[in-house]
Amino acid sequence: MTSTTAGPTGAAPGRSIDTRWRTRDIVVAAVLGVTFGVVFWAWGAAAWPALAPLNGPFPVLQDLFYAVWLVPAVLAPLIVRKPGAALFAEMVAAGLSAFLGSQWGADTLLSGFVQGAAAELIFAFTLYRTWSLPVLAIAAVASAAAAWIHDWAVYYPDVALEIQLARGVAMAISAIVIAAFGSVALVRSLRRAGVLEGFPD
Amino acid sequence: MLAPIDLTDAQASSPLGRTSPLVKLGVAITWLIGLALVREPGPPLVLAALAIVAGLSIGRVTARNLVRGLAPLLLAATSIALANLLWSSSNGDPTAVELARIGPFRITREAADAAVALAARVVSIVSVGAVFAQTTDPTRLVDALVQQARVPERFAYGALAAYQAVPGLAEDLVTLRQARRVRGLRGWHPRLLLGLLVRALRHADQLALAMDARAFGSGPRTTFRPIRWGWLDAAVGLGGLAALWIALAIRF
Repeated sequence: MTSTTAGPTGAAPGRSIDTRWRTRDIVVAAVLGVTFGVVFWAWGAAAWPALAPLNGPFPVLQDLFYAVWLVPAVLAPLIVRKPGAALFAEMVAAGLSAFLGSQWGADTLLSGFVQGAAAELIFAFTLYRTWSLPVLAIAAVASAAAAWIHDWAVYYPDVALEIQLARGVAMAISAIVIAAFGSVALVRSLRRAGVLEGFPD
Repeated sequence: MLAPIDLTDAQASSPLGRTSPLVKLGVAITWLIGLALVREPGPPLVLAALAIVAGLSIGRVTARNLVRGLAPLLLAATSIALANLLWSSSNGDPTAVELARIGPFRITREAADAAVALAARVVSIVSVGAVFAQTTDPTRLVDALVQQARVPERFAYGALAAYQAVPGLAEDLVTLRQARRVRGLRGWHPRLLLGLLVRALRHADQLALAMDARAFGSGPRTTFRPIRWGWLDAAVGLGGLAALWIALAIRF
């Protein structure tokens, strides 16, 4: 049984992409999600307690590191290049986080969903054919924007507009640097390490 | 050491443990959305208390595990409350009642009220999450996603297979950090992530190969652990909605 997502039709000759997920694509995307679930946990245990007390006096500071949570939504689709990879990997990471016990509890799943879906939307707009740095950066910023709106509504509804805007800018910068450039750098290193044989360049 | 929560038989066979994970998830998300609509501390505190009582009684979660699950709560709630307290939009409102002035910050009563309410919101979100995680077996969640929510099975079971790698990945992380320490380097570095990803991707390749060798996803699947909707699901679902309704009616 194959559960392929309907791919784009009428692809340009020579540029048509295979939208079917091989088992390897599924497992690699899932393992990336799981690995980042572990990273989130390590981050939550090591870095976040150091940043959280500063969140009061300097609310924008921790947002400069926000994109640590967004990496799977960019890295997984960049590697496997299949429709749904951003949402799938981010949800796996969030699901693992929820089970390992995160400081955000059940909301982790909602956050993961909006973050993954926003990046997914951008990749869908390119019909999953363009994987240039600008596209990755836009997807990362879209993911950050979704997270920003979610956090505004759920955690910071009372915070003044100027701070909200500053948070948004910090999150966007973080998304471009950590999620977009970070994913490209990781893929380059992983390719050199020889673990991405059989995945598109 | 990082390890997924070990569900004992007591929790797995408790009424909350036998309820479909999808129902629990549905209740958790509905509560979350309901709570996002209120600005008082009462409703979230009522729901947090209900979740904890339900976890301890019909979930048979031990008090010790629950306390451990709630540990991250203090930091998260304080951090969110403080941000809302110090940077509240009402602090700049000259008609708002001033409570205190700390350095450059003017703290108003309105801001303090909002901060308390948001701390309560975090308390409820974490409590519900802890009870969900401690009464839900990940395998059962995936079974329910496939059988009851019709999530494509290759993805659901692929994710579950990857999930089994967690203890191994956590060990790899320890090994990688020790290797850095041997070279006189301490703390965290992005390079650790690269090492971890290389190990993870090698593992994924072997896993995919093994799954393909067993014809994973190539034909109709039979079900080893059938999950059916039951009266328990209806009871927990309706109970959850009733609890939200009551909590939202209590405005304090």
